[in-house]
Amino acid sequence: MSLKKLLKPFKLLSIAKKAGVVTVLYPYQKPLITSEFRGKIVIDASKCMGCGACANVCPPNALSITETEESVILNYFVGRCIFCGMCADVCPVGAIRVSNEFELATTNIDNLNTVLVHKLKGCVDCGKPFITSRMLENVLKKVPFAEKYINECPDCRRKRFINIVSARKR
Amino acid sequence: MKDNHLKKSIWVFHLNTGSCNGCDIEILDALTPYFDVERFGIKLVASPRHADVVLLTGPITVKTLPMVINALKAVPRPRYVLAIGACAVGGGIWYDTYSVIGGVKEFKKILEEHGVEIDKIVYVPGCPARPEAIIYGVALLLGLVKEKVSKEVVIIGEGSHH
Repeated sequence: MSLKKLLKPFKLLSIAKKAGVVTVLYPYQKPLITSEFRGKIVIDASKCMGCGACANVCPPNALSITETEESVILNYFVGRCIFCGMCADVCPVGAIRVSNEFELATTNIDNLNTVLVHKLKGCVDCGKPFITSRMLENVLKKVPFAEKYINECPDCRRKRFINIVSARKR
Repeated sequence: MKDNHLKKSIWVFHLNTGSCNGCDIEILDALTPYFDVERFGIKLVASPRHADVVLLTGPITVKTLPMVINALKAVPRPRYVLAIGACAVGGGIWYDTYSVIGGVKEFKKILEEHGVEIDKIVYVPGCPARPEAIIYGVALLLGLVKEKVSKEVVIIGEGSHH
């Protein structure tokens, strides 16, 4: 074996030293996260009004709206989320923010749920819950003349309209 | 919580169950020198019989289901599964499609029928899951890091009153 062949590993050492270490010691070191990276979405509970625009647009139904008699429940299951950020675009009150959180691994699938329960406000006439109080505020902000009938549920509004029309006929 | 069975190097088996190859590429990315998972002794093996942990990607299509069950049967106990990506965790955008099982949650019920037990599943969400997220999942299995996510329930509004 020639001397040149014997010295080959040492030559490699110098090349390796020139290249340096590229390894990121991830759990102990900060990972490279660019500003464009989209991670878990964060729903601001102090802004959300439970309109369901995000659930309507969500491709995998990670955000889902369930309506019960007393409340509107917005459930965010991050396990199915594809981090498209469409919900943040459509949210009319800007309650959804795309964060760069990606360390979401868990051993219990229930940990991946975020639940927002909106209690509904009752109708002034019949007392049937029909609208979230934040939605009501938002409607009033956009349509100020709705003040006259916004506290009534759609059924009561219909009844009132029929009463007015029938009174007119006579 | 340190697992007694994972004291030594963990060998992983890569099981694609009909994924779009996004998560598979991220797994390969995690094996490169940039992340260098051999720091933890993680090594990719070709047979499930040699594996400690199964890296499961994809929404488990009906076509791959028998093969997936056979592969998981071949894994020695204790069986550890790392469900990687939105598809494996909850079915992803295919969650209600006719040709997929739709994530590990439904798949577990089918496995029970076949008598295959999985001792621990680590769910790694992401579409695709970043290489760091996969390493984080493995580190969680090894007990190196703590879980960050927890179930949050927020009740808004003061209830109906009139």
